[in-house]
Amino acid sequence: MGISKGDEVFVNEIKAGNVMAFEAMVLKYQPKLMSSLIGYTKSRDQAEELCQKTFIRVWQKIDSFRGDSALFTWIYRIGINLAKNDFASSFSKGSKITDYLDQNEHDVPQYLSPETELIALESEKKIMEFIQTLDTETKTAFTLREIDGRTYDEIAKILKCPIGTVRSRIFRARQLILEFMNQENILNG
Amino acid sequence: MDKDLEKLSALYDGELSSKEIQESLAKMNADEGLKNTFKKFGLISDIVQRHSEQKAPKVSFLKDYLSKINPVMSNLVTAAATVLITLIILYQFDEDRFQVDRGSSLQLSSALSSDQAKNQLLNADQNIMEHMIHIMQSNQSHNSQQVSKNWIPVGFSANPNNPNQYSNGRNNLFFHLENKQLGIKKVKYFKANNNWIYLIPLQDGRLLTAYGDVPPSVADPMIQSIYERK
Repeated sequence: MGISKGDEVFVNEIKAGNVMAFEAMVLKYQPKLMSSLIGYTKSRDQAEELCQKTFIRVWQKIDSFRGDSALFTWIYRIGINLAKNDFASSFSKGSKITDYLDQNEHDVPQYLSPETELIALESEKKIMEFIQTLDTETKTAFTLREIDGRTYDEIAKILKCPIGTVRSRIFRARQLILEFMNQENILNG
Repeated sequence: MDKDLEKLSALYDGELSSKEIQESLAKMNADEGLKNTFKKFGLISDIVQRHSEQKAPKVSFLKDYLSKINPVMSNLVTAAATVLITLIILYQFDEDRFQVDRGSSLQLSSALSSDQAKNQLLNADQNIMEHMIHIMQSNQSHNSQQVSKNWIPVGFSANPNNPNQYSNGRNNLFFHLENKQLGIKKVKYFKANNNWIYLIPLQDGRLLTAYGDVPPSVADPMIQSIYERK
């Protein structure tokens, strides 16, 4: 699967040097990458460090991303390769297999305060249960977007409603989920 | 503020125009609150996607399903694409829960991510699919037995020109009663585009199919009443 239309927008902006687009991309994928890296390393601290390194590498290498894969798949591969390097280097100190990070770090935008938030499994379950209580229209649009990865246009055709309605419903779902998270004191602040 | 947040949500999905992207990025850059919200959109995505990875696709397309079980039929359906073709929700009432905790069952019924939906789709009988397609394609002309007046939902009245069609002035419902149950043991219902199909196995061995734009919240009392009828 190639890059999605949504991510293509971000990638094009980042390639054009748009730091804000890069920051948005980081905000978008940091939670997912952290989950993956924690799963891989079993260490939150290590995952946070790898997460930073990964996004630095993404910024440095974005021009080489051709869109043959989904953007997150590419980011994930970078993260996992860095994790492998870390493991390798922990066995043979001072001889990392590949480390490009020494150079050009001053070019990297100042976004990196990981403060990565993780949600307890119990809270995740609550959120998932809450999503099930959303009205069918809202939930369907949200699910088509988040899980099936459909574009607004595709969702509009499936649900036979205007794109503006799709946009509102997806936003509504996110807004309600955020309100629920606030009520439940999940990630307040 | 909501407009900004709605735009932020669309930005998150990459669904803004080039000009809107620049505007939204600039706004987000100047507003920590927006940044935080954008990040939380990412958290929500992560949770939802992780929790759904081990489940079946949440929205299933009947056409895709049919192409697996019967390529010929799939072609027929393609030809008649104006009739259906998105099968969004399917669910089977669990008899015990139906009796004990109907509210909970109804919530589950619209749970797109439910395991029931997955299992139901995977185990769906081809005959049921064919029956549903037939109902959807020839709803108006479909011949079936006369239904009992006791089954008509409260607030609905019969169409004088079609004794099996009922309306409450806003929603329409067609009843089809047949001497076959297609192996259906429990109430099932499906959403196809803007309509719903309810398959209600009767105690006497017949199958009542109700089809129309009546959502489960309205149809539920009717279904319960018919289903529990001895």
